[in-house]
Amino acid sequence: MVDAATTATMMDPAGLKAIGAGLAVGLTGLASGIAEKDIGSAAIGAMAENESLFGKGLILTVIPETIVIFGLVVALLIS
Amino acid sequence: MLKPKEMSRAIIVGHKEIMEETIEALHGTNLFHLEDYNEDGSGLKLGRPFENAGEVSKKIVQLRSISSFLGVSKSDAPKQKESTVISDLDSKLDKLDAEVTEKTEQRSELESKLKELETLKKDLAPFSAIPIDMELYRNYENIAVFAGTVKEDVGPAISKVTSAYEMEYDQNTGTVVLFVKKEDEAKTSEVLSNFEYRELRVPDTTGKPQDLISGFAAEEANIQKQIDALETDMQSIKDKYSEFILASDEVLSIKSEKAEAPVKIATSEHTFIIDGWVPADSVSKLENIVNTATNGRAYVSVQEIEKKDTDIIPIEYDNPKVTRPFQEIMDLYARPKYKEIDPTALIFISFPLFYGMILGDIGYALILLTIAVAIKKLVNSDAVKPLMNVLIYCQISTLIFGILYAEFLGFPLASLHTDHGTIPGLIAGFETITLFTTPIAGEPITYPIHRTHLVMTMIIATALIGLLHINFGYILGFINENRNHGFVAAMLEKGSWIVVELGIALAVLGYTGIAPTQIIGIIVFLIGLVMLIKGEGAIAVIELPALLSNALSYTRLIAVGLSSIYIASTVNLIAFDMIWSQGGIVAAIGAILVFIFGHALNTVLSIIAPGLHALRLQYVEFFGKFYEGGGRKYNPFGYIRKYTEE
Repeated sequence: MVDAATTATMMDPAGLKAIGAGLAVGLTGLASGIAEKDIGSAAIGAMAENESLFGKGLILTVIPETIVIFGLVVALLIS
Repeated sequence: MLKPKEMSRAIIVGHKEIMEETIEALHGTNLFHLEDYNEDGSGLKLGRPFENAGEVSKKIVQLRSISSFLGVSKSDAPKQKESTVISDLDSKLDKLDAEVTEKTEQRSELESKLKELETLKKDLAPFSAIPIDMELYRNYENIAVFAGTVKEDVGPAISKVTSAYEMEYDQNTGTVVLFVKKEDEAKTSEVLSNFEYRELRVPDTTGKPQDLISGFAAEEANIQKQIDALETDMQSIKDKYSEFILASDEVLSIKSEKAEAPVKIATSEHTFIIDGWVPADSVSKLENIVNTATNGRAYVSVQEIEKKDTDIIPIEYDNPKVTRPFQEIMDLYARPKYKEIDPTALIFISFPLFYGMILGDIGYALILLTIAVAIKKLVNSDAVKPLMNVLIYCQISTLIFGILYAEFLGFPLASLHTDHGTIPGLIAGFETITLFTTPIAGEPITYPIHRTHLVMTMIIATALIGLLHINFGYILGFINENRNHGFVAAMLEKGSWIVVELGIALAVLGYTGIAPTQIIGIIVFLIGLVMLIKGEGAIAVIELPALLSNALSYTRLIAVGLSSIYIASTVNLIAFDMIWSQGGIVAAIGAILVFIFGHALNTVLSIIAPGLHALRLQYVEFFGKFYEGGGRKYNPFGYIRKYTEE
């Protein structure tokens, strides 16, 4: 017979992995979002002045996107 | 290819008598990029516009205001003879102007009438339940009239102040109309103010309010009908004249461009000097045309391009037709400079390659290919066509990778052998073949490649692709620098990066014990570092970690692709669960809806996500290594006719 207390404290490694992967994607996603929001709004402001800045604005906006990609890669490695 | 078109600087000099013929000829060829002249104290002055400039621009303003009134948009109108357009222009334009002005005046009159009615209706609304003719509210000598709203019935309170009064009160709207003697006005007003009395505007009209209001509807409908009739008239005017408007707009624009051209040109008392650029292979054509137009009286001379002028040379792409759509993607970033490599042909390969690697799904490729071809056929726009061509190239690449990955809308086509047994694919009998096992994580390489089960290998493979792509960028940067600033600068600024990488690679090989190169590697690394600091300054050290992050950035090629697969397979899972676990027609319809909407969403994401990520890899990681950009667009003096012909 399994002791009830032991079952409660034992955690499924697969579940922990999933939580870790989730945290990796979720937190890096938030981080990208926070970083991109300022750049994005500034880029839109610049584009309103001069439409030809679209390309440059796009590049600057997506630079922090790398953060979440790293998070995604880490999550893939964990799971 | 790989280089912008070669340009020559040409100067055309002649007597003012032949200025008009020269400008006419230049405009006709559409070859010469006119350089605006700035008065610089050399005694030369800007020219004056030709005599007809004022008249032409007046007509253009007239025509364009009519055009915007009617809402004429670009269309595929058949080409018209320029001479007939010009001969008709004056009479037709005045007639058209008169017609349109008449109609618009009528319309605005009717519209203001409609507005008046609406205001009246609004003003009358509170009085609707009060059966007093509107004319009875005015023109009394001894009676004061109160018309307004109160919060509750004021009758009892008023009767305390005066007995001689007449009142109408509407419970619903709180409207009160009160007639009292002039001498009671002050007292009554005091009482009313206790009831939150607010005066209403009494509309200046006659008749019973409810009758008036019910009559409005008919009147409004009548006016609306007249407006509609006018709109139809305007539409028929538009249909009748839109071809004329488009053609004459073009003719007038051309005339105006020519008439205004002298203000860009340097002139002295008797001569003019036109400065500008022409593609090197068209110099003789330009000379011929100018000579024929002026009987050889204008002199065309090709100038040596000075070094200080290289930044202002207008840039015209020189690419074969297949790679031309990617010029749009280049323009989105910046046009190359004259002495720079034009990477259009390179992103023609790498952009669709990366896009395909990310998406790699036969189903989405076919859907998007169909959409792109359809849009290209249906939408006749010069802005949309190149983008659709880019999309088509990307889908072809996606299709090839889709066959390599054997994926269809998130379903694996081939069976998959795992530790838990074999999972059948969509095509029965399509078995996965194991080719060899990689040294990385012991994952077997198979055909088709199951991306979801080769994560580790794919991450490393994509990072290696990144490393190759980045180094290719450094080599291009080396070529650019070598061309502009010489070999030493190129070696220090760009070559040093490759030396640094080589050092790191050797050190890693030594560290892992594959080859005894640890110390050599460190020495090479340090040499590279010194070169880098000499070339780019101490700040370059901060850039070093970027080497790693740039290479790792290419792991998005697998990561974004996997996220797309997971979205697709989740949609599939939900849809099939609905059918198999429940059955029945409702579940089947629900499943089909989930399937369609889920994949529609993922299709949209399949343009945005791989497109943006593939683009970003070009712009940030690749271009950052060599590309400067910022060239001026080659914008020849002339006009491409669409609606008229000579």
